[in-house]
Amino acid sequence: MTQALNVGVLGAGTMGVGIAVTVARAGHAVTVRDPDAERVEHGVVQVRRFLDRSVELGKLDAAVRDAALAGLRGTTELGDLAACDVVIEAIFEDVELKARTFGELDAICPETTLFHTNTSTLSVTAIAAGSRLPERVVGTHYCNPAPLMKLVEVVKGRRTSEDAFARTLAFVEGLGKTAVVTEDVPGFLVNLFLVPFENDCIRALEAGMGTVESIDTAVRLALGYPMGPFTLMDIVGMDVHKAVSMSLYRQLRKPRFAPPPLVDRMISAGHLGRKTGQGFYTYEEAGLMGT
Amino acid sequence: MSEQTTVAVLGYGTMGAGIAQVCAQAGLETLVVEAAQEPLAAGQRRLEAFLAEGVRRGKVDEAEREATLARIRRTTDLADCAGVDVAIEAVVEDLAVKRALLGRLGEVVGADTLVATNTSALSVTELARAYAYPERVGGLHFFNPAPLMALVEVVVAIDTSDETTAALTAFAEQIGKQPVTTKDRPGFLVNRLLMPYLNQALQAYDDGIASARDVDAAVELGLGYPMGPLTLLDLIGLDNHEHATSAAYEQTKDPDFAPPPLLSRMVDAGRLGRKSGRGLRVGVES
Repeated sequence: MTQALNVGVLGAGTMGVGIAVTVARAGHAVTVRDPDAERVEHGVVQVRRFLDRSVELGKLDAAVRDAALAGLRGTTELGDLAACDVVIEAIFEDVELKARTFGELDAICPETTLFHTNTSTLSVTAIAAGSRLPERVVGTHYCNPAPLMKLVEVVKGRRTSEDAFARTLAFVEGLGKTAVVTEDVPGFLVNLFLVPFENDCIRALEAGMGTVESIDTAVRLALGYPMGPFTLMDIVGMDVHKAVSMSLYRQLRKPRFAPPPLVDRMISAGHLGRKTGQGFYTYEEAGLMGT
Repeated sequence: MSEQTTVAVLGYGTMGAGIAQVCAQAGLETLVVEAAQEPLAAGQRRLEAFLAEGVRRGKVDEAEREATLARIRRTTDLADCAGVDVAIEAVVEDLAVKRALLGRLGEVVGADTLVATNTSALSVTELARAYAYPERVGGLHFFNPAPLMALVEVVVAIDTSDETTAALTAFAEQIGKQPVTTKDRPGFLVNRLLMPYLNQALQAYDDGIASARDVDAAVELGLGYPMGPLTLLDLIGLDNHEHATSAAYEQTKDPDFAPPPLLSRMVDAGRLGRKSGRGLRVGVES
C-alpha cells in the first residue's frame, strides 16, 4: 500500500491535526472532518503551519509540503469521506460516539474502506461493534505529538479480519512509523504501563517518600526517563489524567489504576497543570503547552 | 567535610568497586575493605577495567586515572578503618552478614564517623540497630553502575539524626552525586516506583498482550525510556529483581510487588538475563 490513498481524519483536535500532518506528509490526500466549521478551519491552518515550520527547520522538502497541502481539505460533512480508502477517527474519547460514527460511515464509504480508531483507553472491539462490518475496524493508537513520535500501537479487535489488519500494518509502516502489535486490552501497552506508574508516583508523594521535585529528579536520573512524572502530568492535565485513569480502572478493576485522592483535590482546586498555570508546579504563563 | 575527608568502602563487589571509584575520583582518600585477598583482587580488577574503559571512551584522562588509583588503598583488616570520616557498607545483601559487620565496625570507629549502608532491599533501621551509634547511620543507595549514575538516595531510618541526614546529603554532593532524601520504606523511592512496573510488564508479556520485542519497543518509542522493561530486567538480572521485589512484597503484602510466576520460573531455569546469556530478550532473539 505505497500508492497515495484518500484518507479521512475525523476530529480536528490535537490528535486529529497531528495524524493529518503525519498522513499528508507521507503522500496521501487528507480530508479533515469535524462537525464544527471553526474547528475545521483552525485544524487545517494548524496542519499547514506544522508543515511550513518543518520546511523552515529543514526537516521537510518544500515539494513534499506542497504536495501534502495540495491534497489537504477540510469539511464538516461526513459525506465528503465517501471516496476514502482509510478513515481514521480521532474524536472525543466516548465509545458510543465512536461506534455510532463508524455506523454512519457504513452508509457512506465502500465496504473496502478501512476504519481506524485512535482510541487510547477504550475497547476497539466495542467501537467496532458500531459498524455493520466490524472486520474492517482496527485500532491505531498514535502517540502525542503524532508527527514526531515514532510509535503506533496497532490493535486487533476480536472481530478484526486478518486482511484489514495486514493492510493497516502496511499503511502505518508507510507513514514512517514503527508499529507494535497489541491485543485489545485496556490501555494497550503504553498507557497500560504509564498510567499506573504515574499514580504510583502520586501515591509516593502522598506517602512523603519525596517531594514533587525530588521524585521527578529521581525518575529522570535513576531511570533515565525523558521527563519526571509530575512535569508530564502537568502537561497532560490532571482532568485528562483522571479520565484516563478512571477509564482503565473501570475496565481492569486493579487499584494501581485508580487515581489517588490528591488528583481529585487538585481538580477541585483548579490545579489542572500548565493550562491553568498551577498543577504540581506553578507556571508563569497559563496555557503554555510542552510541545 | 573537606578535601581531606577519608572514606572506607566495605565490600569490593560490583557496587563496592563502583562506589570506591566515585569517592576516589572525587579526590577522597578511599580505603576498601574485603574479607579476604581474593575478592580484594577481583574488585580491584573490576575497578581498573571500568576506569580503563573510561579512558578508552575519553571520559577520564590518564592523569585522572592514575590519581584515582593512587587514592585507593586496600585491606582485609577492618581495624584499618579507625579514624575514617565516612564508612559505606556495600557487602552482600544479607541481613545477618551486614549486621555482623556493622557491629564490628562500631568497635573500630566512633560516633564521629558517618556510616552509610548501600542496601537496596533491607531495612536501614534494622541494620542501624546493629551499629553502636544508630543515629549516625543512614542509607546511601547508589545505582549501578555507580560511576555513571548521577542519583543517590539518602535514606532516613527511624533513628537517623537530622545531622546525619544533612551530612550524608552533603557527602553525596561532595562526591558529585545528586542526592534525594527518602524514607526507610521498602524499595525506598526509585525501586518502589520501578518494581511494580517491571512486574506488570512481565505479566503483560506472559499474558500474551504483545511480543517481547513489541513490549520493549512500545516503551522505548512511545514513552522515550532508555530501554524497554524486558531488556531492563535482563540487565538487572532476573534473580536480583526477584529477590528485591519479593523482599518488598513480604514487607508490604502489596500484590503489585509479588513476583510474577514467569519471573520465578525463569530463575528456576537459570535464565537470569545478560549474566547467564539467556533471559527475556537476551539469547532468544531470532
